[in-house]
Amino acid sequence: MHHSVIKPNSWVALKLPSGVTRVIQVTPNTSISLGKYGTFPANLILERPYYLTFEVQDKLPEESFSRLRVVPPSELYADVFAEEDAECANPAAGPGSNNDAVIATAAGEEFSLVDAESGNVIARSTQEVIDENARQKLTQAEIEELKRDGTNAGKDVIAKLLLSHAALDQKTSFSLSKYKLLKTKKYIRRFQVLPIDVPTFSNWQLEERDASKILDIRAEMMGLVGCWGNVHYGGADVFLEDPKATTEQGEEALAPLQEDLLAGRWLVVDDTGGLLVAAMAERMGVLYKEDDETEEAAEEEEATEKAEEETEPKQESDTTSQKDTEMIDGQQQAATSETTTLPRHPKRPRDNKPRDSDFAVPFSQTNTITVLHGASQPNLSFLNYWNFDVTAPQHPPHPLLNHLLTLSWLQLLKPELDTSYSTPPLTADPETLSTWKPSRRGNFHRKRRRYARVRHIVDSTRAGNFSGLVCASTMDPISILKHALPLLAGGAPVAIYSPSLEPLATLADCFSVARRTAWNSGHVAEIQGKTAEELEKWEGSEQFPLNPTLLLGTSIQTSRARRWQVLPGRTHPLMTERGGADGYIFTGWRAKPAEGKIAAKGKFKRRKVEESVSTPASA
Amino acid sequence: MTDAMTRPTVSPFLEPGLRTKPRSLAILQLSRDNLLPIYLQEASGEHDGYAEGAVVNTRYGSFPHSTMLNVPWGSQIRASKVDTGSRGRKRKRGPKDDASRDDAEENQPETADNNDTEATGVKQAVADDSGFIHVLPPTPELWTQSLPHRTQVVYTPDYSYILHRIRARPGSTIIEAGAGSGSFTHASVRAVYNGYPSSAEDRKGKVFSFEYHEERYHKMKKELTDHNLDGLVHLTHRDVYNGGFLIDGKSPEADAIFLDLPKPWEALPHLSRRKPQTQAKEGEDTAAEWVSPLNPKKAVHICTFSPCIEQVTRTVSAMRRLGWVDIDMVEIANRKLHTIRDRVGLHYQTDRGVNVSPHDVEEALERLAEIEERVREQAARPRGAGEDGAEDADTVMKNGDDAAKKDNDKTSAEQPPFQTPWVDGRLITKGEPEIKTHTSYLVFAVLPREWTEEDEAAAFAKHPCGKEKAVVGSIDKQTRKKERREQLQKIGDRKARRKERAEKIAEAVE
Repeated sequence: MHHSVIKPNSWVALKLPSGVTRVIQVTPNTSISLGKYGTFPANLILERPYYLTFEVQDKLPEESFSRLRVVPPSELYADVFAEEDAECANPAAGPGSNNDAVIATAAGEEFSLVDAESGNVIARSTQEVIDENARQKLTQAEIEELKRDGTNAGKDVIAKLLLSHAALDQKTSFSLSKYKLLKTKKYIRRFQVLPIDVPTFSNWQLEERDASKILDIRAEMMGLVGCWGNVHYGGADVFLEDPKATTEQGEEALAPLQEDLLAGRWLVVDDTGGLLVAAMAERMGVLYKEDDETEEAAEEEEATEKAEEETEPKQESDTTSQKDTEMIDGQQQAATSETTTLPRHPKRPRDNKPRDSDFAVPFSQTNTITVLHGASQPNLSFLNYWNFDVTAPQHPPHPLLNHLLTLSWLQLLKPELDTSYSTPPLTADPETLSTWKPSRRGNFHRKRRRYARVRHIVDSTRAGNFSGLVCASTMDPISILKHALPLLAGGAPVAIYSPSLEPLATLADCFSVARRTAWNSGHVAEIQGKTAEELEKWEGSEQFPLNPTLLLGTSIQTSRARRWQVLPGRTHPLMTERGGADGYIFTGWRAKPAEGKIAAKGKFKRRKVEESVSTPASA
Repeated sequence: MTDAMTRPTVSPFLEPGLRTKPRSLAILQLSRDNLLPIYLQEASGEHDGYAEGAVVNTRYGSFPHSTMLNVPWGSQIRASKVDTGSRGRKRKRGPKDDASRDDAEENQPETADNNDTEATGVKQAVADDSGFIHVLPPTPELWTQSLPHRTQVVYTPDYSYILHRIRARPGSTIIEAGAGSGSFTHASVRAVYNGYPSSAEDRKGKVFSFEYHEERYHKMKKELTDHNLDGLVHLTHRDVYNGGFLIDGKSPEADAIFLDLPKPWEALPHLSRRKPQTQAKEGEDTAAEWVSPLNPKKAVHICTFSPCIEQVTRTVSAMRRLGWVDIDMVEIANRKLHTIRDRVGLHYQTDRGVNVSPHDVEEALERLAEIEERVREQAARPRGAGEDGAEDADTVMKNGDDAAKKDNDKTSAEQPPFQTPWVDGRLITKGEPEIKTHTSYLVFAVLPREWTEEDEAAAFAKHPCGKEKAVVGSIDKQTRKKERREQLQKIGDRKARRKERAEKIAEAVE
């Protein structure tokens, strides 16, 4: 069960009153600073539940740190409750609530004026333009002083600001609540801790970081891509047997591919820095480590180990200022130079299992994600937020290790040109091996292991029969489908996301009715005499960039969530929302076309067929 | 059910395999948006009067099940020549249209009148010369498009977003009320599926579904069995407003909740961590221990699905009183887009979807100039006696226009422009003719897990404070500078040490 409580060294999102989200790693025995909202020890949120709202309290005189207080929901909604109660009661009944949680000094005074009016509100909402700065009697210096000395998690400041506002009595309840909200956002020292899961992370990346890095993919589109790609848990893990190859044996000793074991595999092209892969891994149940209570001790040990190795994406963390980044770079340098002096991989005493041979395939045959990448290394850096580093050679246990396969387009299409695929593995007899230095021996095994891994990835990918294709790429979708379509099993769904419509429209046009009928009519000269297999691997021509009969039910759609504010008497859609790229998805299913000429039934269609038959033939 | 034993154990929705299987659900795609769910049957003799066994008849032809069995999913299936005419009638149909059939087959329907015993006598299907369909593996998306409607359906744009937001993941437990037509049920099963439970204690991802309407409950129950989802969906016939969400008095320990009910606020009090005060008033059973249906160790996500804004207001108000946080209301607008080739131009022949008018100013200009030319020619021609004299400028103009058109047609007839409707014209996108502008309002919220004083004390004991070494997050300038200085110092130290060591080694070598 994951995300039960905040685990040490996990990444979390801190939601601040201003609406800003900060993503940080909760390292034990550090202080977390929220800027003007205060500083508190990280240990105070460790092993506490997610989604609670905490308030940074004033330091007790005998303590060196600020304690936290869990804010109960009754306090969070105090304003709304007061309003609801006032609405229920007679508007003339005067101050409705004596609720301490409502931010006010005492009932009466300026507030009573407003409260009495709350029944008839619209009367003068438009008449006065209240210049908040001009009407605020407290000077900036006084406010600063209040902030410094102010106690009670900023509530005092807000109450004083409200009281000293000269025009408060002229404000309607609408403008009053707006003013109060504004001040609350600015001064109240509260925050909420959210787990870094795919929805939270992508939202943060989209709204507050660089949306273009994740191709502007919104939650709506993420949901659609996952569903139309039918991405789900693909069956219990199945591992190939260890071929127990000795070090003298070469490629002949590789574990043979067993195609009938392969199931529940998805093909991905991801240019969102790993977010799409993370979303798929989440849907397939391989993104989060299970955190059992019993495992805790082991985990902590790992975590410290990991902290030493320092593979975390420090550059990605929420340090906005240049200086911060510099500092972190420095830290990283320090850390890496430290680790080089340490013995890197202390053997784990817990493992009593005999070591797998070099040619043992570490990947499951089911429930896997195969990533095709255009560069020589996949860019999956966002997976670091889930403590997975695709580049780490020796990785602490993570479910993605056995379920994430990556290969380049070169390895897929021209494996003979890829060195790591085509170079035969090193061999050595045990005697020579024992004479080598440990580092050379380590290298030898590492290379052999990599060779077996690459061979397995490439060969199993080329075997095809994938359960689906999911794509969010900057590459031309036509070129992707040209090579990916033959790899899909019959009936497998295709879901392609694009921030803009045009590439998908061009793609959908490749599967237009006109193209399909012409293709099926048997009068397209280029495809005459080709076998079904050749047509499946159709290289593309100017007129037919893709074999139009390989995809069924192609369709383009877009979704948009419109957010609403729901408050008593003030329910309406939000006034502004994120613009920019809308995002579209293209969907379809892989078809297995019948061999030979095939015509649709029905008069209208037949006429059309004849028409398209005659013209190209005369050309 | 006798064949329950022989059924494939895993639902075709979850692991369809590579080929179609008998007695399993398949979705036939007749045309673009015309889907037909069907349970494929092995041919075991005549079925319903068809010699080929069970047959699907559509406007695109007849398809015996035998032609769709054990083929790869996604296969294009040719229509078969099936004798639909003489079905049920006894003789007298005579061998009139038997050109393509041999005699043995032709006789089959007649001899096999009551042939339950003649299991072997299944007629081989003969391919027709036109007509085809595709056979697809069932997915929640296809099922949503093709399921028998019992209530308003939760469509893919909504449920995909909902499942994403309520964190439905492999291994989660979901409460769903009401089950309705089952589209959300199927989608949520796929989301939480992480294997079938091997025993009653084995906790796997599961959907606890509640349906008030008895008839719908029974239909749904059968559907779940047919789809092999029995171990993954627990369907209960209950009014949740009064009955709550416990299963035999025990908590389903839900991680996420989806309420598609007319009055979500009446169900919400049952979904609390502790007995809510509103219920406490009702009285007698206060002594009995109140059990929460929620997972005590996790924050619970909820989504309610209501078409009216008044429902939303009441739901949100109830949620606030019950301690739900992060309340967020959205509505989803989904648009489908079609791509078409927009063909405009004078060189096209009149055809469906073609606009024979100038496609740009140049073409218009060319044609106008041509017309003018003709008019001038006509005017320059010496006037004959009679008929021409009456002609006014307008008719000349009109004739000219027609002639130009004719001329155009002629040139195209002589040298037909290469007409390929799939590359001609400009590629454009259009919205579908009718769009769903409102489905329902979605209210999302989270209920954090309970946190008591004792829990806090235990956590504080485990992670005591006061030994903070560094500051994370936004730190003030001074601290940042100090930390930077320390770091540089460290690196400097290390460099110095390394230098020292190198010098020592150099000395030793010498």
